[in-house]
Amino acid sequence: MTTNEITKETIIETLRQVVDPELGCNIVDLGLVYSVSITGKKVIVVMTLTTAGCPMHDSIRWGAQQALAILAGVEETQVQVVWDPPWRPSMMSEVGRNATGAGTF
Amino acid sequence: MKGSSTALPLLFTMTGLLALCTGVVWLVLQPSLLATYHYNQYVIAATHLFVLGWICSVVMGTMYQLVPVALETKLYSEKLASVQFVFHVAGFVGMVWSFRVWHMTQLAHFGSTFAVGVGLFVYNMARTLRRAPRWNITATAVTAALVWLSLAVTAGLSIAAAKCDYASALESSPPALVAALLHGFQAAGGFVAHFDPVSAMHAHAHLGGVGCFTMLIVGVSYKLIPMFTLGELQSRRRAAWSIALLNIGLAGSFVTILLRSPLKPAFALTVVAALAVYGREIAAILRARKRRALDWGIKYFLTAIVLMLPMSVLAVVLSWPGLPLSTFTGQLENLYGFLGLIGVITLAIMGMLYKIIPFLVWFARYSRQIGRTRVPALADLYSARLQALGYWAYLAGLAATSGAIVLSNETGVRIGAGCLALGVATLALNVGKMLAHFFKPALRPSALPASLTPKTA
Repeated sequence: MTTNEITKETIIETLRQVVDPELGCNIVDLGLVYSVSITGKKVIVVMTLTTAGCPMHDSIRWGAQQALAILAGVEETQVQVVWDPPWRPSMMSEVGRNATGAGTF
Repeated sequence: MKGSSTALPLLFTMTGLLALCTGVVWLVLQPSLLATYHYNQYVIAATHLFVLGWICSVVMGTMYQLVPVALETKLYSEKLASVQFVFHVAGFVGMVWSFRVWHMTQLAHFGSTFAVGVGLFVYNMARTLRRAPRWNITATAVTAALVWLSLAVTAGLSIAAAKCDYASALESSPPALVAALLHGFQAAGGFVAHFDPVSAMHAHAHLGGVGCFTMLIVGVSYKLIPMFTLGELQSRRRAAWSIALLNIGLAGSFVTILLRSPLKPAFALTVVAALAVYGREIAAILRARKRRALDWGIKYFLTAIVLMLPMSVLAVVLSWPGLPLSTFTGQLENLYGFLGLIGVITLAIMGMLYKIIPFLVWFARYSRQIGRTRVPALADLYSARLQALGYWAYLAGLAATSGAIVLSNETGVRIGAGCLALGVATLALNVGKMLAHFFKPALRPSALPASLTPKTA
């Protein structure tokens, strides 16, 4: 078994595997991931969702947790969903804007 | 991960679809339903198939799933919802049959069965609403819709009670509880008998059609349209006014329709004003949306909203006190009911079903796989081409049937209903494609970059 060096970049890259099924775009390019902190083998992700009361709330949070949990070198994951600051479409990357057809701001 | 069960909402939804398919086939086979005046047993039976079997089933099933999610709480009781399903299906199937054969005693039995189901539904939803941590305009609209639904069922039962004979049942010395119920029905029926039966039926229909279903379309879209188009509510005040005016207009319309009052146009105009305010807010949300492309599900829904315009014109015309009671007026009333149920409400529900069923299937089939493997997006679960074909076929059906209703032309109604049936068939095919994911999931390996190693590598 190989062990990754866990960096913020590897976590972000891994979170790109989690796609919002309604919007068809990953949570990183949607701008939903607010922060990633790594302490030893523990990863804490602070993220949001496009809207409070989103039916996919549990699934997306669970997906983020699962994606990180299978990474070698990660022993504990914590995914916190926050509503402040609220998500704005302007938080999307260009990839996110193209995927959702949101255009430019 | 813990989530509420999707089985029951799917069961309600599939029941609704079956009723819709039966209903459109019925229209094709018996076009006289829409080509002649509507106060007869067959039209009333078919209307209850559409309203209770199709619309109520889907609305109740999706509310069990989506109201707790939208209000960030949990459903009060899934068990109660399962029990309600049994009362609901037994009640509406029996009611449609009782109307069809015009058996009023059986109608009272099945109507009571249905009413018990509605009582359980309203109780379950009310307890769920009480748990909501935050109150918003959608919660207000849902609450109002539940009140109007309860009143619609009470009015319907009372109308049925007015047509029943109680003498033989009371003479047989029934148990105290049954006797009390019979006396209650007798009293309610006696009260309703003071009113013109057609007016009572129209007033009852408005409680359900406008009070419950239109109220839900208005209230729920303030949450769902921004959610699906990446937008936000533009004016809470405007949204609140639309709900308030709808409530005032409906309360007034119910009384004035029942009493054949010359004040009918005033309240019809109040409802129209509510819908105009609603339309303005939806237009503002759409103008400010960030997701420019509108998918077909949203197009179905928005078309339903546009259809509120001819509906509103018809409502005002038909409310006019000086309108002559002619065959043509009767056909305009048919058109009003048809555009309301099969046009506005059905099209809105079909649009939302293209959001709700993929979500229910995805949630049940893929929500535990997300993050581990690549799962399909909701739009991958069905065919957009079928959706587009269904949209145009259904619109053609609405146009052809509407014209044929005005002309009292049975052949035209049959052709129009055939197009409607094609539209419904595309929805059924797409639902089949979605349900197929339960048996043949579309999972692909995760596209994790080579530099990242999973634990099991």
